[in-house]
Amino acid sequence: METAAIIPAFNEAESLPSVINEIKELFPDHLIVVVDDGSTDETADIAKKFDCVCLSMPFNLGIGGALRLGFRYCLDREIDCAYQFDADGQHDSTQISLLLSELEHSDMVIGSRFSADHPYEVGQSRKAAMNILRFLVRIYTGQKFTDTSSGFRAFTRPVIKLFAKEYPVEYMDSVEALLIASKNGFKISEIPVQMRERSAGQASNRNFRLIYYFLRLLIVLLAGIRKKEKD
Amino acid sequence: MSSSTHILIAVLASGAFFLIVRLVRFKVLKAKYSILWLTVGSSLAVISAVPQVLDWTAEKLGIWYQPTLFLLLAIGFLLLLAMHFSYELSRMENRVRVLVEEISLLKERIEKEE
Repeated sequence: METAAIIPAFNEAESLPSVINEIKELFPDHLIVVVDDGSTDETADIAKKFDCVCLSMPFNLGIGGALRLGFRYCLDREIDCAYQFDADGQHDSTQISLLLSELEHSDMVIGSRFSADHPYEVGQSRKAAMNILRFLVRIYTGQKFTDTSSGFRAFTRPVIKLFAKEYPVEYMDSVEALLIASKNGFKISEIPVQMRERSAGQASNRNFRLIYYFLRLLIVLLAGIRKKEKD
Repeated sequence: MSSSTHILIAVLASGAFFLIVRLVRFKVLKAKYSILWLTVGSSLAVISAVPQVLDWTAEKLGIWYQPTLFLLLAIGFLLLLAMHFSYELSRMENRVRVLVEEISLLKERIEKEE
């Protein structure tokens, strides 16, 4: 069974080497796919130096676009399961095996930052937004998720196939992806994992942008619910 | 409609016509859009040549102030056009994304073979 790590990276030259090294050390048989999202620093060169697959996009498409390309590559390579891993060092490679073992019982596994032994701190406004999202996702999917926006996820081949074509390409992709997978009848489970604070780089969320994307997501959600009632 | 408005519309209509034909001839504008704009240009020309058409239609529709009809039509048309462009833009964006994906995959394959 071939497993791949999809690492979307936008200007992550600083933290990328340690992230790749960690995965290589623990899982030498995993195929590492770095998707360089139009970086202006040496991200692509570093990925190539490490002897892993590097997909370079000519310009920045955002994390959703980068992931979709990663899924498409995995689909072409006939990868059996893949997991999504952040290039900024936020995700802990020791937790990967937890995700993969849970994948035996479901189609998609989400690693949740919350409800773990070491709680992960987020700001007030983000917390409020996350609560609203959690509530809406619960109505929509009929399932309770504690961390709807987590980017630490694993997928089986059927989900990879779906996401290679349908992965949402706008920011806040993770919530929308969760909804798409649920709507297509895939079994999604969530397990608590440990995460670290970002080791380098800058969080890509600015508040006013966050509000815009939040509103957009609400519209997507509402449109989705209406569509669901119809069929 | 006063005669000065009459002249203004005539000037605008002929200007638009001239511009559209020029753009199509130099292949700046696709034929698909030129038909659209030529229709606009010719309706403007009709209105400027026979302003009574506008007055008559406005009266039939119960619009007392005739230029309102003109503005109503213009705004409606522009709204439709903006919607159409949004649609085209979304489609284009999607196509560009797929192309970017294809290019990146091909690039990786070529680099691997080298």
